[in-house]
Amino acid sequence: MKKIVFCLLTAASLAALTSGAEADKLADVLARGKLVVGTGVGNPPWHFRDEAGNMAGYDVDIAKIVAKGLFGDDTKIEFVNQASDARIPNIVTDKVDITCQFMTVTAERAQQVNFTIPYYREGVGLMLQAGGKYKSRDDMKAAGNAVTVSVLQNVYAEDMVHYALPEAKVDQYESVDLAYQALNSGRADTVATDMSSLQWFMKQNPGKYADGGYGWNPQTYSCAVKRGEQDWLNFVNIALREALTGVEFGTFSKSFEQWFGVKPPEPQVGFPSEHR
Amino acid sequence: MADFLHQLWIARFALTQGLILTLWLSLVSIIAGTILGILGGVALTYGGRLVRWPVRALVDALRGIPVLVLILAVFYLLTFAGINFTAVESGLIALSLFSGAHMAEIVRGALSAIPTGQIDAGKALGLSSFRIFALVLLPQAARMIMPVWINTGAELVKTSTLLSVIGTGELLFRTQEVIGRNFMTLEFYGFAGALFFLINFAIEQAGRVIDRRLAAR
Repeated sequence: MKKIVFCLLTAASLAALTSGAEADKLADVLARGKLVVGTGVGNPPWHFRDEAGNMAGYDVDIAKIVAKGLFGDDTKIEFVNQASDARIPNIVTDKVDITCQFMTVTAERAQQVNFTIPYYREGVGLMLQAGGKYKSRDDMKAAGNAVTVSVLQNVYAEDMVHYALPEAKVDQYESVDLAYQALNSGRADTVATDMSSLQWFMKQNPGKYADGGYGWNPQTYSCAVKRGEQDWLNFVNIALREALTGVEFGTFSKSFEQWFGVKPPEPQVGFPSEHR
Repeated sequence: MADFLHQLWIARFALTQGLILTLWLSLVSIIAGTILGILGGVALTYGGRLVRWPVRALVDALRGIPVLVLILAVFYLLTFAGINFTAVESGLIALSLFSGAHMAEIVRGALSAIPTGQIDAGKALGLSSFRIFALVLLPQAARMIMPVWINTGAELVKTSTLLSVIGTGELLFRTQEVIGRNFMTLEFYGFAGALFFLINFAIEQAGRVIDRRLAAR
């Protein structure tokens, strides 16, 4: 139901795009003095509220890098909390200046929004109950359609799961915690979700869960901005590139290590690697 | 249990904020809805064709579409007209329109249940139309409306949870944020459910007291 509504809204937004007036988003954001960022709230280590009530996570840190580039102050951000299916509508209707919410880059989506340079490459993994009926992906593949997989709702969720478990039943949930809850309550035999989220969750709950021992489905994560705002896109790209490879690498590296447990590769001094 | 209480203590400010926003949203939208409903109900009962038909169309449309669609429409569609409401504003507008449409229908029902002879009697006494409405019709209608009005209030408190989809920080949304961090899904949804029950239980008790007072007169 909600999905249908969002489809309609996206269609309406696309129709409205063609009649959009010329605007300069970069100038607008600078004049406003704060960056409006769309992101979610329930998916550590990506975006969530920490115990003090502040937004935290890798997506949030990426947004802070952009804000620092704009104002020299990474606190000048207003976060708009949105569900995954509100990411594109909120960009197209100017509810947000930028969305950083583990958004998978696809050519199809690139027709609706402009993607920035990537800041992570994710894979999907399977998480099981420790000591449960199935031990690994091979067990579950052999069990065929007796296996139910819970997964975060997405247009390609069904295909994604079937790549690893071709006959499994797929239940889509609106948030990651509900997908986990399905596993806990026995509604699902396994959760298929981002490796990073899975590792974070298993670290928080030692001994309770097991890794299905299979990773697949590489996907690129980028922030997204409105189409037709080339100056704004260029600005964000530069801010992100210089965090991943340049002057802001220190800040970026600290964040990356905090959320994923590994250090990103140091940029090599000398000839810029992106031209190699 | 100790773990839950610890997490609850950490989340106390977030949940209190959510609770206050839920109560505030419900209160403002029931007041706005009541005002809209009385105007709409009067228009539907006594208005001429030019007034009645547009109001009828609006009330039917608002009652006919799911509240979730109404919320999303206010939040997203109005931006194409250059109007950009925040999540809280959009939520208030949608809830007020929703409750206004329902109240209009309720008020119309109550007003048309009052014999028209009373209006004639009022006119014969030389009362103005406004005084007939305020002194004769409204008190009787209010008595009939009261139980349904309380019900609509309780319904609005529950409906306000739908605003979580546009990121309004009401109680359900704040609860989801907390669950997103500590993954204690059952415990915190259960807690939120208990709070909603308490709010509505209080509303219904208050409604019973008011009802008894009105009936005693």
